[in-house]
Amino acid sequence: MIVQVESIYVSYGAAQVLRDVSLEARAGEAVAVIGPNGAGKTTLLRALIGMLRPTRGRIFYDGQVRNGLRAFETARLGMVYVPAEKELFPGMTVFENLELGSYCNVRDIPERLTYVFDLFPRLEERRHQLAGTLSGGEQQMVAIGRALMGYPKVLLLDEPSTGLAPKMVAELYRQLAKLKTAGLTLIVAEQQVPLVLSLTDRAYVLEQGAIRLSGKSADVRGNPEIKAAYLGVT
Amino acid sequence: MTATLLDGIVQGLQLSLLAVGITLIFGLGGVLNLAHGQFAVVGGVAAKLLLNLGVHPVLAGIGGVIGAGLFGLLVDRSLLLPAYRYRGEERLLLGLILTLGLSFVIDGYLNYAFSEFSLTLLLPIPLVQIAGIPMRTAGLTTSAIALVVFLALFVFLRWTLLGKTIRSIIENEVGAELCGIDPARTRTIIVGLAAMMAGLAGIAQGLFSSLGTEMGPEFTILGLLVAVVGGVRSLNGTLVAGVFLGIVNAFASRYIGAYVAFIILLSVAMATILLRPTGLLARFT
Amino acid sequence: MSNRPVSSRYTDVVALVILLALVPAIAAHTPYYLRIATLAVVYMGWTVGFNLIFGHTKQLFLCLGALAGSAAYVTAVLSQQLQLSPWITIPIGVAAATGLGVLFSYVSVLRGLGVIFLGIVTLAFSLIFQNMVLGLRQFTNGETGLVTRDLGFPLLDHPVAAYYLFIAVLALALLVYCFVMDSRMGFAFRALSDDELTAELSGIDVTACKIVAAALGSTVFGLFGTLYGLYNGIVSPSLFSFVNVDIPVLISLLLGGMRTRLGPIVGAALFAVIEEFVRPFGQLSVLVYGVLLIVLFVAFREGLVVMLRKAFGFSQFRELFRSSG
Repeated sequence: MIVQVESIYVSYGAAQVLRDVSLEARAGEAVAVIGPNGAGKTTLLRALIGMLRPTRGRIFYDGQVRNGLRAFETARLGMVYVPAEKELFPGMTVFENLELGSYCNVRDIPERLTYVFDLFPRLEERRHQLAGTLSGGEQQMVAIGRALMGYPKVLLLDEPSTGLAPKMVAELYRQLAKLKTAGLTLIVAEQQVPLVLSLTDRAYVLEQGAIRLSGKSADVRGNPEIKAAYLGVT
Repeated sequence: MTATLLDGIVQGLQLSLLAVGITLIFGLGGVLNLAHGQFAVVGGVAAKLLLNLGVHPVLAGIGGVIGAGLFGLLVDRSLLLPAYRYRGEERLLLGLILTLGLSFVIDGYLNYAFSEFSLTLLLPIPLVQIAGIPMRTAGLTTSAIALVVFLALFVFLRWTLLGKTIRSIIENEVGAELCGIDPARTRTIIVGLAAMMAGLAGIAQGLFSSLGTEMGPEFTILGLLVAVVGGVRSLNGTLVAGVFLGIVNAFASRYIGAYVAFIILLSVAMATILLRPTGLLARFT
Repeated sequence: MSNRPVSSRYTDVVALVILLALVPAIAAHTPYYLRIATLAVVYMGWTVGFNLIFGHTKQLFLCLGALAGSAAYVTAVLSQQLQLSPWITIPIGVAAATGLGVLFSYVSVLRGLGVIFLGIVTLAFSLIFQNMVLGLRQFTNGETGLVTRDLGFPLLDHPVAAYYLFIAVLALALLVYCFVMDSRMGFAFRALSDDELTAELSGIDVTACKIVAAALGSTVFGLFGTLYGLYNGIVSPSLFSFVNVDIPVLISLLLGGMRTRLGPIVGAALFAVIEEFVRPFGQLSVLVYGVLLIVLFVAFREGLVVMLRKAFGFSQFRELFRSSG
């Protein structure tokens, strides 16, 4: 068990956003977090990385309690977050953005860059372009590439398919599958339910701040209520 | 007229040196340092104290710069801590008031303890001829120093890892944190660096004419104006704005008069702020 | 809140006026202390103005001395150059201050300038004011200052009468403040200082509020500025410098408590006392003010009035130190 969330409660000021949420991911597993807008998926990922602190409950990473860590400390320990907003450095080049990603674990930067460019050849073409001038899909690639530069053990992805054309989304998930095979642990919050359920081993359904359902992705996909609520719409 | 232009550039470079520290502290820490001019004076005072101890002028200058830097580090790790607990405009306001208070503490103490202070550094050759125009070596030296510092700064920020780390925090603090960068530690380094540059500007003033303990507020406001006109997050902008305002001031002083020149300078700065709040060189969002 | 009868809503102001009016009974024979008291009243007035500008609408004007000074100089110069009666020149001077305040507020709201830009622009104006006074030597007599002794009301030459005049003006300013805070505008101010965005979304015209607050505050600065200039017998740039006006007012407001009725008064009174103790130290007094500013903003942001209100839960005290927001 590399990541374990034990009954956490998270609030934004007076509003209770997460209630008694538990989650776990084994090393090398891919776990999906699905649910409607505002359910608390982003909040959950932020709590994991340390941008938010739970008021109750514990978060374990690599066997130790990590509630109080700041985001940069968690990153240095190998759990990296790719937020929906991407949070790139717009005035810096693709190359520089990727380079900075290795800050949390400076090791063999040229080799790592080759790895990322293999995964996303488009980025190699644009290596000297300013990140702010890239298209949405390319920015998403930079964001994920940057996260990979530090040899992360766990990757937290928040709605990676947002704003991407369907062809790009398919390509992205192909790459994510490759990463999973390479042994990376993935926790993916997604709106695009069928895609993420086919990538992942297990899934959690989050609604209104609480876990409604969890289990093997295949089972979740077959669940009639889930089918009606999510698969009918998407 | 060329003489005035050159004079303006010399003055402008000095202004840029003063302002670049403010831009750095604001870009990295989100705090507008109203005590920046006082950092410059502290540098000068430290240098003078070393001179009085018989230290060689160049070493005293370096000592003064380091002294200012250490002082800046101290301030960041103590006074500014309450401000860093907040974000955005709250942090800005708190930082503004705290540094304002600090400026008075420093001013009050220095004016009291060193009431007859003045730092004047004289160069062996006062005048030099460049293309037929007599120029003060002091002005040329300070310009050279400023240019070297700016060049070093640009190289540092563009090519070194620490430099890129600093730029990344200015670009996007959240993004930097997600890469494993500790903004607070980098901030402290930068405040130290910014204070060093202010100290250098203060010592340069001693070279250019003379530095007095009461010059703090004037330095601060000039530095602020240049930083804001250039765009508080843009270092290139600071350089351009400094030279621009330096030239404006030189021409206004020469052809109109000292007081009115200052008013013109302030008005031009105010107008630029009002017309282009993001600064002379617009940046990507 | 509006259920109380009108009279009890102003008891604290009345009580204050009575208290202040008693001062000459003790101090009339020592002109020095009476003068200090009069100056304290001027600063109390200014702090009430700043409470509106900064306390309630968060507009960081760093040109308070320049506002007061502009009014004072306009009045003095006009009176001297054009031989006009103070009844004409005083309103013109005050209008100048109001105009400037509204200008800064309007432009900054229009352009969406935040705290920092407004602070820098007003700071720049502070310097422009000082330099203009020094530069327009032929009108203002530069650094030496302009004598105003024969330009104002004869009333101001009598220390006790002058003192009561200032009390009356302070009472007027306070009443206007209370009136505004009890009105719908006051409700808007309260919403505004809580959360600007929410206030805007609830339909409150944030722009109008800020400009009105700036207008009222600047008028107060101008009014007390001109009268002070005339009372003082001489106006000089140092009288209205940043150190002599902006800093004391800022500290007084923080000391007494922002957004309260009597906070500015209590704060300014306390500051006057502190100033007397610190004055003999010369330049070190500036250091003390710096420390005060830092400590206040970090530790005692709420100010004395709120602290006292929390310490003494008694209902009478609650009435006396009632907040306006």
